[in-house]
Amino acid sequence: MKNLIYIITALLLLNLNSLQAQVKKGNLLIKNATVLTITNGIQEDTDILVENGLIKQIGKGIAAPSNTPVVEASGKYVMPGIIDAHSHVALSVVNEASSPITAEVYMGDVVNPFDIGLYRALAGGVTVSNAMHGSANAIGGRNVTLKHRYGTLNPEELIMTEAPRTIKFALGENPTRVHGRGKGIQPRSRMGVEAIIRNGFNEAIQYKKKWEAYEKAAGQKNSTAIPPKYNLRLKTLGDILDGKLIIHCHSYRADEINMLINVCKDFGIKNIVFTHVNEGFKVAPELAAHTMGASVFADWWAYKFEVYYSTSFNAAILTKNGVITSINSDDAELIRHLYHEAGKTQRYGGLTDEEALALITINPAKQLGIADKVGSIEPGKQADLVIFENHPLSVYAIPQMTFVDGIKYFDINEDDHDQRLKVSATEMVEPIYLMEHDHRCMHGVEMFSETGQFFGTH
Amino acid sequence: MSLLNRKTLLLLLMVAASNVFILAAVAQSDPTGGKRVTGTYAIKNATVFTGNGSATKVDIIIENGLIGGVGKNLKTPIDAQEIKGDSMFIYPGFIDVSGSAGVKTPPTPEKPADLDPSNPPPHIAGITPYVDVLESFDPADEELGMWRKTGITMVNLIPNGEGMLPGNTAVVLIGEADSYNTLASSTGMFAKFEAIRGLYPGTTLGVMAKWRELYQNAELANKHQSLFASNKGLVRPEKDRVLEAFYPIINQSAPVIFKVKDELELRRALNLQREKGFRMVVTGVNEGVTLIPLIKETKTQVILSANLPEDTASKKELKGASEEITANLDRVKAAYKSHLELAAAFEKEGVPFAFSSQDLKSENFLKNIRLMVENGLSEEAALAALTINAAKILEQDHITGTIEKGKLANLVITTDSLFKSGAEVKQVFVDGYLFTYETNGNKKGGKEKATDITGSWNYNTETPQGSSSGEMIIKKESEGFSGTITFDNPAGGGKKTADMLAIKQSGSTFEFQFTVDVQGMSLSVTVSGDFSGDDYKGKMTITDFGSFPFTATKSPDSTTNN
Repeated sequence: MKNLIYIITALLLLNLNSLQAQVKKGNLLIKNATVLTITNGIQEDTDILVENGLIKQIGKGIAAPSNTPVVEASGKYVMPGIIDAHSHVALSVVNEASSPITAEVYMGDVVNPFDIGLYRALAGGVTVSNAMHGSANAIGGRNVTLKHRYGTLNPEELIMTEAPRTIKFALGENPTRVHGRGKGIQPRSRMGVEAIIRNGFNEAIQYKKKWEAYEKAAGQKNSTAIPPKYNLRLKTLGDILDGKLIIHCHSYRADEINMLINVCKDFGIKNIVFTHVNEGFKVAPELAAHTMGASVFADWWAYKFEVYYSTSFNAAILTKNGVITSINSDDAELIRHLYHEAGKTQRYGGLTDEEALALITINPAKQLGIADKVGSIEPGKQADLVIFENHPLSVYAIPQMTFVDGIKYFDINEDDHDQRLKVSATEMVEPIYLMEHDHRCMHGVEMFSETGQFFGTH
Repeated sequence: MSLLNRKTLLLLLMVAASNVFILAAVAQSDPTGGKRVTGTYAIKNATVFTGNGSATKVDIIIENGLIGGVGKNLKTPIDAQEIKGDSMFIYPGFIDVSGSAGVKTPPTPEKPADLDPSNPPPHIAGITPYVDVLESFDPADEELGMWRKTGITMVNLIPNGEGMLPGNTAVVLIGEADSYNTLASSTGMFAKFEAIRGLYPGTTLGVMAKWRELYQNAELANKHQSLFASNKGLVRPEKDRVLEAFYPIINQSAPVIFKVKDELELRRALNLQREKGFRMVVTGVNEGVTLIPLIKETKTQVILSANLPEDTASKKELKGASEEITANLDRVKAAYKSHLELAAAFEKEGVPFAFSSQDLKSENFLKNIRLMVENGLSEEAALAALTINAAKILEQDHITGTIEKGKLANLVITTDSLFKSGAEVKQVFVDGYLFTYETNGNKKGGKEKATDITGSWNYNTETPQGSSSGEMIIKKESEGFSGTITFDNPAGGGKKTADMLAIKQSGSTFEFQFTVDVQGMSLSVTVSGDFSGDDYKGKMTITDFGSFPFTATKSPDSTTNN
């Protein structure tokens, strides 16, 4: 009997496997590099051995098993693949801006593997990004953590399936503009944003109770229990309350950051990261005590009213206060040189090399709940690695090769003109849309707002 | 002479006899003179592709709307009109698995004054899976006749409503207008990744989530209903016509017919199918060879779009262009070629498929299929796609799809082998009714005079935020066209002017793009449509926001060239 169960289970697993994406994993030996491990200092003239996509060994004079590709990296620097905790790369749609809460939507449904932005990110050493819902809604959709395995046509192969779920929240001007001013519904003010979030959580508690009661009754013999309506929005909010998701909250002002910290305290939520956080330096101790950290820009502000009170010292102040801090791109251009962005914290705040590099490696990994898998060069971790000419924090730094799971996805010496995976059958020159910042976060919502009326009557 | 008399007499007797049997249906006299003399035909010695094996020279008898016989030297029934078939090539009537000719766009429902756009009622949010397409079908629509002229005898009608679930499909014959041509209603639930702008669900993200929610709630509601039916003292189930429309889907008695625009949408549809396990037909497929294993695994039935992209690349001449630009052009050419080869690739992988006529003009239908045949699709597979595969998908293969005794008399008669470029459709039988067309061999009049797109046009467009108008000026250049368009300034006040970009004209189709700057963001707008005389009808598509009707009329005497 037991054997039979094993066989059936094995068959089922086989079946599932055939439907699952097949992710490529490589073997690799990098020789004689200066290895910036992030968690274990700098190791000179060191080799890194990768087996089946994982880092197996770090040390001197490692002999490569046969058939292992060897990369000679003497005079070069190796760092872990850069992690971007806030991006919108490789997404066909960014905002489901039609409702102030859209916790039911999932960015994994709209991953676009053809986005050349993935290749450009690899060329900047970025191997993992948090492809996020936009900031139109107080509670947006579930984000998707991507590994930049550019070249696959299968979106599922880009998804880092082992990453925990994260969800986008947004405070301040964006949700109030889209829903309050744009459509005349809640939230019209910052108070409304708080009310939307609190109401959402309270409804989720009711929803959870209803289903628990039903499931208990349905388990009885000859049960005639009637199932409640299914609501993925409330189910997801309930999962947040149960600590199963990490909130990544778009926010700028200190007061609204405090507000959400208090809401989370009231509902017992511990998994929260604040993103943008331009006034984070004012509430650094609170962020350190109550959150999974802050993900900021190095020096980007003044693109709207709530983003004027800002400083380039933000990342450094947060770091010195013990906040887990990362620097993100939120942008198709910035994602190409996050190592420069990290470097700025040395000019503004005097962070050490190790602290500055942590901002784009282990810290964003912690914020995405994947620090046990990526974010540093340690045996057992996934072999997401970047080889740099010059130190990555130098202004002369140039990424040479980028590896994900031990597979090389970028090589500056094999960087052909045309890296597109898909080409239009009719367009000689495909349209290119250059977006300002915030139009990315607010991508696709213009039509919902009163100022964005187009071809319409005013 | 005496023979003719005898025949005429017998014919009269036959008519009289049939009157006895079908008293109610047949009038005693026919003052209109429109009634056909006979519904019985004998086609003698034609080259017939029955759909089973290769062509043979045989006779076909048609009577009572059915194929009365196929074979050599069949006896001509006494009341039959005899047709000499020596120069004829006869195929089973073609079947279009998703077409919307004759289907009107239902009026946009009026929005209540207190509408909450984040939670609109289903019928306003484009969620009307209970709608029967036949309610908005006009069997007298001229467009149907144009499709019949290409050999299409049967069509699975697709509802034209906006939004993600506009309604159910239905199978009709493109038959004689006064006949009852409906074969089956509710043949599938039509679905697309389309949302109504400004309402929930507003994008593909919301549509995916809404799909899952509706499906799951339909299963729960179904469970509630069956509990209620067999137990006393239970809470009464709510009547919900949206969820009830899902019951045939969750019970696997009808398929979801998912329209997809590209490979990514095809994948999304396949993902939903994998999650929920419903029967699925995907239509409009125009790429996605790499998804064939998934298509097989999910037993998804495939309808390829008969629409092919325009060949813009091969016409381009790039004298003295850099290597980079030449390489780019080669990629565009290869991408174009891969569209032409898609059908062949599906055939090679052993995936049966049919064709969809949606988004296509009738005159390009056979032309495009010939292009697929030139690019590797076998003639047998092309014919099967037009006939038996389609009949199987629609579960109508017991009455149509091949030329067999007892099946519907749906036939296409061409002047030459169908896939030869000069071949023309000469006659079409639908349900035993004969339709005859002019071919080059028997054409009388000259070509219809082509109209001219150049000049100044006043246009109107309808968006949910109201109607808007402006002027288009189109000029002929030594190569192609140039033009400008005016529109309401999105920042308020007055008009703005933009240049037309990417202007394309072929036949009576005219298409262009222009860019509108809104709050520092560039929106790309595409206008496409057809002109005829002084009228232009089409749609305006704004990136990410959807399509809206666009019509224009030409100012008198404004033609700029000649």
